[in-house]
Amino acid sequence: MLRSLPFAALLCGLLLSASAQAVDVDPATYGYPLTNPFEATIATTPPEMRPLLPDDDDINQSDYSLKLRPEREFTLPANFWAVKKLSYRMAKQDHPAPLMFLIAGTGAPYDSSLNEFLKKLFYKAGYHVVQLSSPTSYDFMSAASRYATPGISQYDAEDLYRVMQAVRAQQANVPVTDYYLAGYSLGALDAAFVSHLDETRKTFNFKKVLLLNPPVNLYTSISNLDKLVQTEVKGINNSTTFYELLLNKLTRYFQQKGYVDINAALVYDLQNSKERLTNEQMAMLIGTMFRFASADIVFTSDLINRRGLITPPNYPITEGTSLTPFLKRSLQCDFDCYLTEQVIPMWRARTDGGSLLQLIDQVSLYALKDYLQNSPKISVMHNADDIILGPGDLGFLRKTFGNRLTVYPYGGHCGNLNYRVNADAMLEFFRG
Amino acid sequence: MAKHILLLAALLSAGYAQADNGKTQTERTQDIDGFTQPLKMLQFNPGLDQREFERATMNALSVYDPLESINRRIYHFNYRFDQWVFLPVVDGYRYVTPSFLRTGVSNFFNNLGDVPNLFNSLLQLKGHRSLETTGRLLLNTTLGVGGLWDPATTMGLPRQSEDFGQTLGFYGVPGGAYLMLPILGPSNLRDTTGLVVDYGVNQEINFLNVPHESTRHPEIWVLGAVDKRYNTSFRYGQFDSPFEYDKLRYIYTEARKLQIAE
Repeated sequence: MLRSLPFAALLCGLLLSASAQAVDVDPATYGYPLTNPFEATIATTPPEMRPLLPDDDDINQSDYSLKLRPEREFTLPANFWAVKKLSYRMAKQDHPAPLMFLIAGTGAPYDSSLNEFLKKLFYKAGYHVVQLSSPTSYDFMSAASRYATPGISQYDAEDLYRVMQAVRAQQANVPVTDYYLAGYSLGALDAAFVSHLDETRKTFNFKKVLLLNPPVNLYTSISNLDKLVQTEVKGINNSTTFYELLLNKLTRYFQQKGYVDINAALVYDLQNSKERLTNEQMAMLIGTMFRFASADIVFTSDLINRRGLITPPNYPITEGTSLTPFLKRSLQCDFDCYLTEQVIPMWRARTDGGSLLQLIDQVSLYALKDYLQNSPKISVMHNADDIILGPGDLGFLRKTFGNRLTVYPYGGHCGNLNYRVNADAMLEFFRG
Repeated sequence: MAKHILLLAALLSAGYAQADNGKTQTERTQDIDGFTQPLKMLQFNPGLDQREFERATMNALSVYDPLESINRRIYHFNYRFDQWVFLPVVDGYRYVTPSFLRTGVSNFFNNLGDVPNLFNSLLQLKGHRSLETTGRLLLNTTLGVGGLWDPATTMGLPRQSEDFGQTLGFYGVPGGAYLMLPILGPSNLRDTTGLVVDYGVNQEINFLNVPHESTRHPEIWVLGAVDKRYNTSFRYGQFDSPFEYDKLRYIYTEARKLQIAE
């Protein structure tokens, strides 16, 4: 009897650890058609495998705006007139309902296509939905951000929280039963920090929080994205640049097809044609998108704070001023450059100086490890082939979230969010 | 001799190393925590040759735009006009009309638009396309009751737009200076000429007597404009970028090249 005790203990241990293990979705039964992570990231799910969602005409929604930083009215140049107020979109049910906040990913505005998809999904399921821009987006930085230097997750979350409180005040007559929160990509990291902030500020008492494809180590993620434009693409030579290569492919594709037809299935069809893109080309395309996002951040942050790295301080800017020279300058600065030239100096000035490692530790999910481990209301959905992750990141998520983590075998970065299986899992998580 | 052997060995081992490299490309690695390391699938440029993004982008940003200062002001005017006048009107239109009526209006104006489509397909000697567009015009004007319905598309004759700007481009006329037209949006010298010619041709052919009627009844023309805006998904500010003007300029230029080539 005594001898069997260790066995029993071992068995218990095994059972316990099994119960806290992440849900790994089996590739064989998952059925997601795009096993290439780059293809999935660009094309997302083929239209026929997406869930059925209502049309825009059938949704009771409007755009609203908030005046959060009135001083910017005077400090921003004239051509920023459109972003002196922060816009958000809200879809309202005609009866008391729970409210879902959605936070967009890197550089994305409140009406990004993924935010629109999630809005439709949750609106159909009976939620009021509020769509918010990412703290890294041009409009949020200009109209809502105190320091206009996104990247310090804690500060970004505080800005977001203030926006959410303002939304609640502006929509005070909407009958809300409970508050929920979801974000994708960088928005998921923001959501984790917002949820943490809410534990002390208690405005919303979020009932459940869902993180979709969050970066774990923010520095790994931005390094990965910066690296994507360094791939060795075949067919680039002295007379053909990367864009020309892509456009030539697209032209040939349309010529074979006989007519120009740009729709949701375009990339998917292109990948099944003779003109398909290689991994390197797709990686370069994704990297390019992010470089343009970083150029926007670099330029806007520098201009609002008058740092003089891109735009000379006091340079007169009117609506007719060409910004092309500044775009060219900003495009030379990737995320790593933005971090070194703008985020770290600001952060060090505010916190009596710290090292890069300390910064990374503070702005990544690591900072919230204990909180995340002990908050059963927070769940994560991630992909085993997500390009923003590095070695060990999934291990961290497994340890921290246990069975509240779902790992899908395919999907790249956010490519499978609009797959029917994933959509059902999201609804199920908030329902249960 | 020894030197030669050494060189040969070096070459061989280089070849071997490359073959080895190729092998790791195809098979997917999987970490102990299930991570599949997607970036391992890629081949990267050597460290001193990593300027392709900058080279390509700087190259793409040079679009001939001598009137940039005026164009940018018009861009901001359009942005405001769109937000404060045009889109509210379109929203009102959407609010007061049932969707089948809006579709009917769109079909009607599309049918009128098939006249310049046909004219320009003929000018570009695109026989097949001209036949299809003729078929569309005949079917939609008769079966579709003056163009209110679009039976041709359901019968497999999709709408294929051609304008005089494309015709000029087809015969090798370059775009010329980039122009931002008030209310109409991005264009260039060639395509603006095309717009004028297409308008003249419409007046000349006077299909279904609509072009002449609309000079007497500007409300037809206004309805056409609202319908056009209703069917255009572009929104100023949708790039959410301080550089929207630059991006729009590049995309317009390339999109036109694509339309001309196809």
